[in-house]
Amino acid sequence: MRALVVYCHPREGSFTSAVRDKVLDRLKAKGAEVRLTDLYADGFDPVLSASEHEGYLDCPKNVAPVAKDVEDIAWCETLIFVYPTWWYGQPAMLKGWLDRVLLPDVAFLMPDEDNKTIRPGLQHITRLGVFTTCGASRWLTTLVGAPGRKTLLRGIGLLCAPRKRTAFAAHYLMDTAPRASLERHLDRVARKMDKLLS
Amino acid sequence: MTRALVLYAHPLDDSFAASLHRTVVTTLDARGWEVDDCDLYKEGFDPVLSAAERQGYHDEPSNIVPVASYVERLRAADALVLCFPVWNFGYPAILKGVFDRVFLPGVSFRLEDGFVKPNLTHIKKVAAVCTYGGTRLRAIGAGDPPRKIVTRHLWHVTRPTKLKYLALYDMNRATHDKRAAFEARVAREMEAF
Repeated sequence: MRALVVYCHPREGSFTSAVRDKVLDRLKAKGAEVRLTDLYADGFDPVLSASEHEGYLDCPKNVAPVAKDVEDIAWCETLIFVYPTWWYGQPAMLKGWLDRVLLPDVAFLMPDEDNKTIRPGLQHITRLGVFTTCGASRWLTTLVGAPGRKTLLRGIGLLCAPRKRTAFAAHYLMDTAPRASLERHLDRVARKMDKLLS
Repeated sequence: MTRALVLYAHPLDDSFAASLHRTVVTTLDARGWEVDDCDLYKEGFDPVLSAAERQGYHDEPSNIVPVASYVERLRAADALVLCFPVWNFGYPAILKGVFDRVFLPGVSFRLEDGFVKPNLTHIKKVAAVCTYGGTRLRAIGAGDPPRKIVTRHLWHVTRPTKLKYLALYDMNRATHDKRAAFEARVAREMEAF
């Protein structure tokens, strides 16, 4: 099993870093080969530049600025995101990773004469996991429509294998979360991971 | 005079998004708005919330220091218009970063008795002008996250009297006429804004 973990949090020691460690621990227990992308530690630049946008459709040259990330995504068959939800979505850092790395001929195939709409390009990904934390309550997040979860599980999910397995876990109301609740959440992450990988 | 803050996020001047942005700015200007045209790419806005900012996120008012000029522009606005392409069913990272870094506690919301209260209620009008690569159906299939973010989250912190979400779907296959019709619609809506 080959797993890519895309992790995004500015501060080591945060609860999100504990979630990451739990995810890595379960992958290790399964004997998975793991690659970890730590966007903040790597100093990833999330801004899709003018020259990248100009060359966006110029495959395969378009992958050059993010070749390593593209190689990782082609390599993995399990893809896991670990991040805090800010304003109901991914931090700009992670959003920019999606913008720059999920390129035509990498993540999807552009429409052509025979195909009216885009076609999925990540069908080698059979497991998709999303682990996050929200300041908002579950109720408010649901009311807003949980756009962050949908961007990944549906938006990116549509590009993955049709019969993929998915896992999602979020801890809500982070600002007032008691310690016991956070610890229970780590157990939940472990259970979800084990089910995802089983 | 009423003031409109236009947040624009596209790297290329010759893009359709750039053309829509020009339409928004010139139409508002002609209607007598004082337009604060914020071109995030041109201004080199850094969308990454740093570790130090995360640490001091809840410390009011010092949390605004790293983005003070943007907070000031937001506070001076009576209207807010977002111009952006939808990428991967979301804002471009550079625009997402405005929310991450500038929509701070004490700026976009305040906590009262543990409840989040909207704090940008001086913004009476909100509009989003955006383009999707995917079809409307595909966007609905994904739950159309950007539409929900604008009509629900942005609505929630501003409580505007008017909110318009103007979207052109399936834009890569849109004919010249379809694009022109959308641009005309944007101009009409901005005139009536």
